[in-house]
Amino acid sequence: MRRALCIFAVLLMISVIVISTGCAAQNGAANPTEGSGQFYLVGISQLIQHGALDAATQGFKDALTEKLGDRVSFDFQNAQGDPNTCASIANGFVASKVDLIMANATAALQAAATATADIPILGTSITEYGVALGIENFQGTVGGNVSGTSDLAPLDQQAAMFGELFPDLSSVGLLYCSGEANSLYQIQTIQGLLEADGYTTRLYPFTDSNDLSSITLAAVGEVDALYVPTDNTVASNTGIIDNICRPARIPVITGEKDTCAGCGVATLSIDYYDLGYATGEMAYRVLTGQAAIADMPVEYAPRFSKMYNREICEELGLVMPSEYEAITD
Amino acid sequence: MNISFSNLLDQFPGALAQGLIWGILAIGVYLTYKVLDIADLTVDGSFCTGGAVFVVLLTRGTNLWIALACAFLAGALAGLCTGAFHVFFGISALLAGILTQIGLWAVNLMIMGKPNLSLNVGRYPLLVSLRYLQEVIKGERPFYSSPLFIVSLFILALIALLYWFFGTEFGTGIRATGSNIKMAKAQGIHTDFAKIFGLMLSNGLVALSGALLTQYQGFADINMGRGAIIIGLAAVIIGEALLAWLFRNFALRLASSVIGALIYFLVIQTVLWLRLDPNYLKLLTAVVVAVFLAIPHWKSRVLQLPVRRNGGKDHA
Repeated sequence: MRRALCIFAVLLMISVIVISTGCAAQNGAANPTEGSGQFYLVGISQLIQHGALDAATQGFKDALTEKLGDRVSFDFQNAQGDPNTCASIANGFVASKVDLIMANATAALQAAATATADIPILGTSITEYGVALGIENFQGTVGGNVSGTSDLAPLDQQAAMFGELFPDLSSVGLLYCSGEANSLYQIQTIQGLLEADGYTTRLYPFTDSNDLSSITLAAVGEVDALYVPTDNTVASNTGIIDNICRPARIPVITGEKDTCAGCGVATLSIDYYDLGYATGEMAYRVLTGQAAIADMPVEYAPRFSKMYNREICEELGLVMPSEYEAITD
Repeated sequence: MNISFSNLLDQFPGALAQGLIWGILAIGVYLTYKVLDIADLTVDGSFCTGGAVFVVLLTRGTNLWIALACAFLAGALAGLCTGAFHVFFGISALLAGILTQIGLWAVNLMIMGKPNLSLNVGRYPLLVSLRYLQEVIKGERPFYSSPLFIVSLFILALIALLYWFFGTEFGTGIRATGSNIKMAKAQGIHTDFAKIFGLMLSNGLVALSGALLTQYQGFADINMGRGAIIIGLAAVIIGEALLAWLFRNFALRLASSVIGALIYFLVIQTVLWLRLDPNYLKLLTAVVVAVFLAIPHWKSRVLQLPVRRNGGKDHA
């Protein structure tokens, strides 16, 4: 049996080596050769897969490909929601000596910023860089080898939407995932704004998709309207919220477009594709040496748009002001 | 794209450092799963508790070693809860662990105040960091500040301590409780206390591992413990299946769990390097653990057949 185990172990090792060299050969064949002009390898580390983050990654890739053509190639890695995998990914990028790391979401940025002080890092879909990187008195520029774009939506204008669309309502429930750093920040901010406008607010933090429906059920029984922030778990589970809020005729204002398309009435949203595209343009300036990343301030979304979900609005009998555009897709 | 086998080898130091850190968790899991014969699911919560306590204390100016000790103690407290649920409330060990784990989600959020806390390597003097690893490789730091070196020392010291402890009368009592609880009771061993102490020690080590990981990757996250027990079990089982025939000594048995963790993270890094979807990684983990768990079972079946035949002949 010992011998069998030894043979098993050896076979396992051989198969790993064979598979890996096989893949290396395959990938090697597809590689553009270095040397013709400057060639760039960009590592993309994304925390989890969902509409908003995917759109940001796509915008980033499109911007760089537009400017650099085939002189740029991407190494895209997705941690599938496990923050610890972000460290493995960052370690891989540093060992591969990529020219730039694009970190999509907080844990991805933190792991990359820990892994290297030399390779330029651009973050995106991060709400507050000072919070994400533990910088006190953050003034808008991270410095060192880190910069990027923030997905902070104009929370004051989102809060004002409640007064604009539902002047008769008095209480707003704030539904968010207690496990997400960005969500808590948004909720705390908008809670202050709503209460200043005279609404009573109640917090409805949920743990994960398992207790989302019971928390939402509790919320629709207690408040007149709901707000959900830009939240990864909500974005992946809008169907649960919609199935509860629509029959209860509770309108939901959301932090971003994809969530609104799933369960919201209206939103003032940034476009994650635009945000990623802006990040890609920053990457171009860094790679070509037009700007030093240490001096680049964090950039914000280029434009915001007021949007509404036509299907849900019709069912609830809501008529949207004309400046709102319907979400199509 | 820069994909070559040598590139994979460049990635191995980072994977090994991560594996060593998780190796401490694996030792903790070994203590409950193998020594006490309890599948303790507290781990998913206490791993994050260790990281949370450590980051909160360190960023508020506590000495690093005191913060590490507090992380260990916080983990031990979590173990105490599971032990109390199990022993005093009569809840099965598996369920007691799950209960503590669920409760710890809220406790961890309370400790951190928010779901993710940054631990910026540039601002605090840390014991281990992914950054230091790279700087040692580039020659900017002496070798002894490499996480590989420091965590190895940590593990050697831990194994030495545990080896000594499990050789004392009380430590042997804990091992006896795991092997045969009725016999242990008959020998006058306080088995309830032995179980609780074992759970505390195990979760203390798990929390220590979490505290080291937050330093290594630069943040504590509420989700960092999710699935930690599976990685720990995988490490213990892989180590056992590959090395049990060679490693008979208790200290070496503990070391084999660490080696299991190393193998696990080398495989993860390879999977990432191969650009496989990490979702499949979880499936792969499940299959690998199932296969390694099945090996001893199959082994006993294969070995049983000739024994029966011989027995038959002798009696005939």
